[in-house]
Amino acid sequence: MALLNVENISKKFGGVCAVDGFFMEVEKGEVVGIIGPNGAGKTTIFNLISKVYETECGRIWLDGTDISSYTQEQAARSGIGRTFQNIRLFNSLNVLDNVKVSCDYKPRYSLIEAILSLPRTIKGKRETHEEAMACLRAVGLEKYALEKPGNLPYGMQRRLEIARALALKPKVLMLDEPAAGLNPEECAELVRFLKDITQKFDIALVIIEHHMDVVMNLCHKIYVLEFGKTIAVGTPEKIQNDPKVLAAYLGEEED
Amino acid sequence: MNDYIASLIQTTCISLIGVVSIFPLTGMTGLFSFGQAAYMAVGAYVSGILAVKLGMPFWLCLLLGVLSCGLLAIIIGYPTLKLRKDYFSLMSLCLGEAVTAVLNKFGTITGGAAGLSNIPKKSTMPLIIISAVVTVALVALFKNSRFGRMSLAIKADELAAKSFGINVFAHKMKVYIFTSMIAGYAGVLYAFYLTYLDPNLFGWTRSSEWVIFLFFGGVNSLTGSVLSTIILTVLPEILRFASSARIVMYTVLILLVINFKPNGLLGEKELRIPVRKQFRTRTRG
Repeated sequence: MALLNVENISKKFGGVCAVDGFFMEVEKGEVVGIIGPNGAGKTTIFNLISKVYETECGRIWLDGTDISSYTQEQAARSGIGRTFQNIRLFNSLNVLDNVKVSCDYKPRYSLIEAILSLPRTIKGKRETHEEAMACLRAVGLEKYALEKPGNLPYGMQRRLEIARALALKPKVLMLDEPAAGLNPEECAELVRFLKDITQKFDIALVIIEHHMDVVMNLCHKIYVLEFGKTIAVGTPEKIQNDPKVLAAYLGEEED
Repeated sequence: MNDYIASLIQTTCISLIGVVSIFPLTGMTGLFSFGQAAYMAVGAYVSGILAVKLGMPFWLCLLLGVLSCGLLAIIIGYPTLKLRKDYFSLMSLCLGEAVTAVLNKFGTITGGAAGLSNIPKKSTMPLIIISAVVTVALVALFKNSRFGRMSLAIKADELAAKSFGINVFAHKMKVYIFTSMIAGYAGVLYAFYLTYLDPNLFGWTRSSEWVIFLFFGGVNSLTGSVLSTIILTVLPEILRFASSARIVMYTVLILLVINFKPNGLLGEKELRIPVRKQFRTRTRG
């Protein structure tokens, strides 16, 4: 079975069917893209997989475990890391602490040990520090560890979100529009960076993206959505020539 | 030292424990509690009644007083901490009023409106000062641990905190129980300091006073809370010569700070001991 297996998930908002029977398979080491016009239901799929929304129908399997009934924090702990379309960093915490938050669910020391500063606390703090610094180094933000995220430029804030998700030690990392607001050179740099971390951290990557050059250069497999329905699945070459996809993006030619 | 200054120091220290007790809850986790003095009341009354009616030794009264606050926090927190933050605030206000009402109604045990007297005087000056210092240290260690960081993350963005594995409800419960027990401890000290209790000592004015002190000092600054408690408790005493005008001056000062420094006196700044700075940045986790 694939690392992440999504079977027939759907989500309705009132009468609107945002996602309608979505299937997806993601293998280890694979980069999968989800594309489609605005409002096609891409972010809703992320929210369903990361359990922001409950699974009303369908099944989600991660590494052989059924995570359909998990809560949001259980899904995160079991290996679903994600970033957000509109950056959601913890602005009152500095860059390093933002990353450390991802290690904080681990019971390295209890509340009583913390307020008495017992040996396990000191050891636990050191471990957390090292893990978080390693993730910051992986995205090249170690110099800004003590800055507030609000003071960083937009591109770095996106990288910090990735670092924070990596600190969870995810099996699947889901990035919601990582290239939004980047110029072509930065996009090329992002593609290199994402290929690099996929290998280094031995994860699968799922991305939602509108920049076609990023998607085509990065992804092994692409899912195309329109109005909640999957209209095409395949390699970048196949997608680029699919008449349905061209129709959805460019509009149909009138005879 | 004359009695007046001694009593001022002791009441300030007890207030300080109270303010510091809501710091992790309101300042860091962003849960506004307008009924935290209820826990002070429970701590004070439970320990006071045990001492007066059953003649238990002080240390046992203290222990049971604090533990009963923890128990009440579990009972109150379990249903209310699942609610949205604003509903939690309303519930905390109700809790404050409910506890005062219960203390007034059950006169046979609590002494009712007439109060509970003859509590032995066990809270000495050194005990109160040491307690205040230790409490501030405990809360500072809380702030510097993963629990403090999780609190700040939850305050900043609950949804994001959940997607990084934090069990928000469980964390809020821990913080609520922890802070309620500190408030209860302040209550025990207060009971054995005053030797007399009446329900009006723990009304919502005291709860809201703590919140005011907290915001005056800086929402995310423990140093600020300590500073503001000292300033705002001592200031009305210094202004005593101005009789009724002192309330006006006190209010004006608070309004000025809130207007011109919306994040409070110190905002997020903390007093750091310079010698340990190196150590802290290296090992803080």
